[in-house]
Amino acid sequence: MEAEDPTTPGRSAAAARQVADILGPFLGLIVVVALFGAVAPEGFLSVFNAKTIATQTVIVGLAAIGATFIIRSGGIDLSVGSAIALASVVTALAMKAGLGEVPSALLGVLAGAAVGAVNGGLVTLLKLPPFIVTLGTLGAARGAAKWLADEQKVDAPSGGLKPFMSKNPDLSGLPGFIRENLPDWLVLAPGVWLMGLAALAAAFLLRRTVFGTWTTAIGSNEPTARLCGVPVERTKFAIYVFAGAMAGLAGVLQFGRLTVGDPTTAMGKELDVIAAVVIGGASLSGGTGTILGAMIGAFLMATLANGCNLSGVPNFVQEILVGAIIVSAVTLDGFRSRQRAS
Amino acid sequence: MNQRPRLAAALSLLALSACGDPSSSEAASGALQIAVVPKGTTHEFWKSVHAGAEAAARDLGVEVIWKGPIREDDRAEQIQIVENFVVRGVDGIVLMPMDRKALVTPAEEAGGQGIPVVVADSDLDWEGRTSFVATDNRRGGELAGEALAEMMGGEGSVILLRYQVGSASTYEREEGFLEAIGKAAGIEIISSNQYAGATNEGAYQASENLLNSFKDVDGIFCPNESAAFGMLRALQDSGRTDDVAFVGFDASDKLVEALRAGEIDALVLQDPVRMGELSVRACVAAVRGEAVDPRIDTGVVVVPSASIDDPSVQALLKPDLSILDE
Repeated sequence: MEAEDPTTPGRSAAAARQVADILGPFLGLIVVVALFGAVAPEGFLSVFNAKTIATQTVIVGLAAIGATFIIRSGGIDLSVGSAIALASVVTALAMKAGLGEVPSALLGVLAGAAVGAVNGGLVTLLKLPPFIVTLGTLGAARGAAKWLADEQKVDAPSGGLKPFMSKNPDLSGLPGFIRENLPDWLVLAPGVWLMGLAALAAAFLLRRTVFGTWTTAIGSNEPTARLCGVPVERTKFAIYVFAGAMAGLAGVLQFGRLTVGDPTTAMGKELDVIAAVVIGGASLSGGTGTILGAMIGAFLMATLANGCNLSGVPNFVQEILVGAIIVSAVTLDGFRSRQRAS
Repeated sequence: MNQRPRLAAALSLLALSACGDPSSSEAASGALQIAVVPKGTTHEFWKSVHAGAEAAARDLGVEVIWKGPIREDDRAEQIQIVENFVVRGVDGIVLMPMDRKALVTPAEEAGGQGIPVVVADSDLDWEGRTSFVATDNRRGGELAGEALAEMMGGEGSVILLRYQVGSASTYEREEGFLEAIGKAAGIEIISSNQYAGATNEGAYQASENLLNSFKDVDGIFCPNESAAFGMLRALQDSGRTDDVAFVGFDASDKLVEALRAGEIDALVLQDPVRMGELSVRACVAAVRGEAVDPRIDTGVVVVPSASIDDPSVQALLKPDLSILDE
């Protein structure tokens, strides 16, 4: 059992272990940044590039917030990429129909949540393994996206959703005294702020609420959690719906970034998302994994892609590196589980 | 003990050794850096563009950085690549956008940093581009229409199998074709509202249906490679390759084979090597402050089956890619 519950004794030891858990990925990120800083052209260490990487992290980052809950509960979600594509298509269609930004964005999030509801429903009602269920919805949601989009990209007015992913956002909406005193490095794409806020809220949800405690309990030992009175089915369903909604939100922002609804977007992103969560210290056997870790993991992946781009590394090296990182992260997961067991 | 920091460090060392590409150190020599971002990197067409770009770079003494997305429909990745080139601070960018809208934002960003952006192959809905370097598709369609009219002796009935709704380049070809063929008074267009779709299989089916409903067709034009291939298969099945004058657009091994066998009577060919070369030249000229033509045509030619072995045609069909291996 992960000793993160504040009611268990040995709280300081648990806190120390938590710090150590975060230290690994964080050091990894620092080392990657330092190495690329030495190898890549000077543009790599600029504030502008940091903003670029942050913007490029948003899609995977938002989805990784939801995936952290799923993985911590001992599940897995392979349908994230397809849910993002479906949400981007739904948002585009709604914008095209003239529904306006807010209803369109809500519909996009709902589309993601619907995929999550199917996942959660099948996992809890039919007692199917999440790997199989989400492998199914990986195909089904992608197919639904292509069906809705008529197998083409959907051209739609991007309106107020486009500036969400702009690195030079329009600040005229802010009060004058804030605008004048805002340092350059804080002028981030609104999507980055959104990701930050969502991460904070999710961290609170995970660590300070009953829902978070139940999530951890299910992932640590499901039969015990059931005996202790945790409503396992209901909680699991809610976790998948929540994660689907986060993927939906990522899809809405993907639409803002692409300015078209793209049914083929984010193909294979589910692996990036899982990798981000696992690099961040989660175990695929459940019970562990933090939001902060997942954010660092997502940032590390984006930094790696950006650094390879900037230093002119061919595509195949980048693909091999990402593969190596995923395997290393799972290897680490194995190390950690054995340490915990002993 | 926690093993993770050590492994993370090892991982990062791996990243360092793999990413320490020697070409990045050449930047220090001060040659202009031109980023060329194709739609993809695996297709023969893009390799030809690359060869042309590289040839121009050697000639002008600049460095070409070639980087395309892994998948040819991954808009997000192409956006990311352009963004990263802007960060890197290259001197100019040649962009072959896979989407005329989605790539506008990063192109604007480059323009905002004073980096000239030459758009090649497909157009971009952006006024700020330095130049648009591409095949004149309308002209290609006209050439096909003229060639077909000539083969048919100026009379008979013609089918146009369109490619796909919403595809700009093939639409231009179709319109150019209809305009040119309309000038021949004796030629009647009996079908021009059918679409082949994106897949070979769809094109095959649509072609079969067309050939079944119009038994007395004399001439056919298909505006792209997959539509032409579907039509070729349907003609072969029904044994009508000799009765019908057939003009296709673009080349593939199968189409060239059929052209040689006379099953296809002519192919319209683009010149991707020239596209790569002219777009890099335009970009370098813009960086050096010279005047650049806002629209640069890279040329199309009609190749009838009789002239398939001409050296100029062979250069188009089998471009010399050896420059990429050096």
